[in-house]
Amino acid sequence: MATTTAPTPPPEAPAATKSPTAPKKPKLSKRRRREALSFYLFVSPWVIGFLVFLLGPMIASIYYSLTDWDSFTPPQWVGFQNYVTLLTDDPVFWKALWNTLFYAAVSVPLGLVLGLWLANLLNKQVRARKLLRTLIYLPTLIPLVATAMIFRMVLAPSGPLNDFLGLFGVSGPNWLYDGPWVKPALILMSTWGAGAATVLLLAAMKGIPRELYEAAEVDGASAMRQFWSITLPHLTPIIFFNLIMGLIGAFQVFSQVYILVSKGKNPAGYDAAQTMVPFLFDQAFSYYHMGYASAISWLLFLVILVFTVIAFRTTRRWVFYETEVK
Amino acid sequence: MATLATPLSKKRQEAPAVRAFRATPFTYGTLLIVAAILTTPLVFVGSIALSSDATVNAGSYTVIPREFHWDNFSRVFGTELPVGTFLLNSVLISLFSVVGQVLSSGLVGYAFARLRAPGKNTMFLVVIATMMIPTQITMIPQFILFRDLGWVNTFLPLIVPNFFSNAFNVFLVRQFVSRLPSQLDEAAMMDGLGFFGIYRRIMFPMLRPVLIAIGIFTLTHTWGDFMGPLIYLNDESKMPLALGVQYITATSQAGQAPPWNLVMVGSILLAVPMIIVYYLGQKYLYEMDISGGSAGVK
Amino acid sequence: MPVDKLQMSRRGFLGLGAAAGVITLTACGTSSGGSSAGPLVMTVWGGDPDRKTYQARIDLLVKKYPDLKVKLQLIPNDSYPQKVQTMIAGGSGPDIMQVAESVNTYSSKNQLLPLDDLAKAAKLDTEQRFGPVGSLYSYEDKLYAIPDRSGAVTVFYNKDLFDKKGIKAPTADWTWDDALDAFKELTVPGKQWGYSGAEWWPQWWSLAYQNGGTIIDESGRPAVDSDEVVEALQWAGDLVFKHKVVPSKADYADMGPDIGGDQAFPNQKIATHANGFWVMSGLTDAKFAWDIAPMWRGEKQAVSAFGSGLAISRTSKQRDNAFKAIDFLTSPEAQQQIIASGQDVPANLEVQKSQAFLKPSWMKTDVDMGVFAESSAFVFRAPFIPEWNEMIDTISNGLADFWLGKERSAKKALTAVQKDLEALIKSGS
Repeated sequence: MATTTAPTPPPEAPAATKSPTAPKKPKLSKRRRREALSFYLFVSPWVIGFLVFLLGPMIASIYYSLTDWDSFTPPQWVGFQNYVTLLTDDPVFWKALWNTLFYAAVSVPLGLVLGLWLANLLNKQVRARKLLRTLIYLPTLIPLVATAMIFRMVLAPSGPLNDFLGLFGVSGPNWLYDGPWVKPALILMSTWGAGAATVLLLAAMKGIPRELYEAAEVDGASAMRQFWSITLPHLTPIIFFNLIMGLIGAFQVFSQVYILVSKGKNPAGYDAAQTMVPFLFDQAFSYYHMGYASAISWLLFLVILVFTVIAFRTTRRWVFYETEVK
Repeated sequence: MATLATPLSKKRQEAPAVRAFRATPFTYGTLLIVAAILTTPLVFVGSIALSSDATVNAGSYTVIPREFHWDNFSRVFGTELPVGTFLLNSVLISLFSVVGQVLSSGLVGYAFARLRAPGKNTMFLVVIATMMIPTQITMIPQFILFRDLGWVNTFLPLIVPNFFSNAFNVFLVRQFVSRLPSQLDEAAMMDGLGFFGIYRRIMFPMLRPVLIAIGIFTLTHTWGDFMGPLIYLNDESKMPLALGVQYITATSQAGQAPPWNLVMVGSILLAVPMIIVYYLGQKYLYEMDISGGSAGVK
Repeated sequence: MPVDKLQMSRRGFLGLGAAAGVITLTACGTSSGGSSAGPLVMTVWGGDPDRKTYQARIDLLVKKYPDLKVKLQLIPNDSYPQKVQTMIAGGSGPDIMQVAESVNTYSSKNQLLPLDDLAKAAKLDTEQRFGPVGSLYSYEDKLYAIPDRSGAVTVFYNKDLFDKKGIKAPTADWTWDDALDAFKELTVPGKQWGYSGAEWWPQWWSLAYQNGGTIIDESGRPAVDSDEVVEALQWAGDLVFKHKVVPSKADYADMGPDIGGDQAFPNQKIATHANGFWVMSGLTDAKFAWDIAPMWRGEKQAVSAFGSGLAISRTSKQRDNAFKAIDFLTSPEAQQQIIASGQDVPANLEVQKSQAFLKPSWMKTDVDMGVFAESSAFVFRAPFIPEWNEMIDTISNGLADFWLGKERSAKKALTAVQKDLEALIKSGS
């Protein structure tokens, strides 16, 4: 994934297709034409889908974002007004952006670190590993809607989490209602799914050659040292993949917010947790600002793009590919 | 679980020579605590699901269940709440979506891996690039499109796009096919089989693991999808379970708590099929996740 | 081997699925196409009890006009604007559509049918049927909805607690000072609070209007930073954080999950509670004596009212039938159902004055239901601007810290809100 998506694949990267050696005999040219025709036919579902459900809508979205449009009456051309208003005159946009960044910046690394830590523990020779792995992975199999319902109960003022904190003499906050605690509550909920990374990382750990550890053992390296110098470097591609996917997902968080702090029943909590997509959704479907909402979606795309580019730019520094060693 | 220490000591002589893999009591302690913490919410859900209405109204349920009203599980299929309908809708939407993705992504992925045509590499770059585009960009125009087609309040906006493949799935199939030996299809070619024949007779069966994985990905995604149904479905009788569960809480009587016991039963019904599907198909998933995750390495 | 089985079943499954898919897709296609001659679609929001009441009224309608068919669609409050938009923008707007404060979001965008002519043709005099509320849902001199439910905020009070302290029942003539004195008397720190109902807009706006303030002034500009409004909000906020006679969010949290005044009052945690009719639904089994009183007064009398009306969307293809249905649904016969089921206050004056309303069959105690009619005389008219939803969200966002006790100055909070509202209402119009 990593190298394939890079803008310019390095020459030593694997060829995109494992095509047989180019045919030299001219009698194949008819076959080649037929092959090309079949190719276009076979990929036509994707091409049609791309044009109808992606490219067309994207162009439409650019146009909408330059209009004032309530979806009932014809759009009014306003140029870049929506973008200008969003960036200079809409405190809610900045708040939603900040909330989103905060959520992404904390929940994604936290989930990865926890996932890595658990994977490392499970990678040891533990008994009942399968059972433990299952228990850790189980939460990630629960659909988001159910998870959000569950956490509405878990995070209730006198719910199990606060009861648990009470055991240590901590009086737990009013997670979903008290502004500053709503974001931590969302992060907590996402952390419950850290097991997703664990399972991936664990599988990757199994692939690390054992000889490397045995050699380190002979050199007298501690378990910690072995983790840092052998395990971790080998996992960086997977960590990187998870980081990118996690960030993209975190920027698009919606159902969690919509259900955990429902706007109708808990407006203060909803307001405190408001992230980009719920903000966009409200503008589009509660206030009927379709043009404005389209502008938000492009700004969201820009934010995601910037972070993805940053992540890719820094890969050389910390992502370790086996191919570099070989 | 407390007895875990005993078998460990028995196996002492087999303890690994490498420190990185040595399990200490600390390892077990941490894993057990983490597993317990992660499992608690699930036990809690079960407890609420088994509570009586009175307990729920008083908010006096506990993490460990104290009462067992199993009839809550049959109640949701009665006239009180249309959970049965929700479930059926979920099954319908997911089933067609899976069929659509499996059929389309398989064919497209195969074409990208095996067939040669001018412009193919550029097209594949576009496939990859589209993975980066957040669905929110197309949300509003797609909504307008489906609205103009008169598809609002039908399953079509949720199902039909799946028949046009999806970049990630195409990518998975392409990677998978690239790793298959090409002698088979070349031999079939010699036998005079056309490209579609090769795909249908030779490739499709060999693609089983990746297609199952795609099926599972699509199933979990569609089954749990909330935003799509929220945008497109109005009638209660058309809602899938993921939206229905939320609908129940959102239409509870003003000034009263939602019927949390039944909502939690709904949540369990939402979760259990996904757990079953995962365990039936996990070996395919591991393979795909890893190859997808480290495709650049191989 | 299970592998073979899986393969078999998968093939069968794919074939079957594809076939079934074609059938379903075509079926869906046809069913969405012809919607002109179908039943009238009526959208309402709320919960299950609302559904039952509306359905009961529709059943009466169909009994009277067997040729009419109505399909009721209940939508959760949260998603009502979105669902209705989907329908209207899709060209198949609801024939009958429940609207309330945000009515002019639609009427200003020309999405509702002006009802004046239809009303005239049907000889429906809204002033006569509903009193001053009759013209509530007007925009630029055109009527866009017929009132359906309408009830003022009333003061629920716990008679037992009042008697124990020897305090006289609240009246419309209480001043702010009288109210505060009573609340202080009735408060037992940490255990019982004198009052609840300050934070929601219908509650503190009542105080603002009593104090001579307005949220939107006559010229259509926001006016929440005026001295009158600031003073009213400060007084309401002080009830919570200075005098501590109203539970704070933290206090509510300690009472249990999802508890607010509507639940705390039946639990005898609070002695007085100002809110809408629905509070009664939690009081039918109350173990204590309670009653309702009109909202107290400030400089003048003013109180918010909750209500909703029925409108016809412009895309409706059965306007005449839709109006016929609305006319019947707001007639005394159908409106009686609203009170008979204990759902809400019917807007129809005749019903409000009837014994069915003053002595509902489900009411186990003696409650002064005449308070609703009494209050309707001083209900203030809330600014139903086209940007209503945004305005309410802006205000509730802007005051979040105020109601958490983090920003104690109403002046500061409202100055910020005023700025946001000015941006909103300027750009929105």
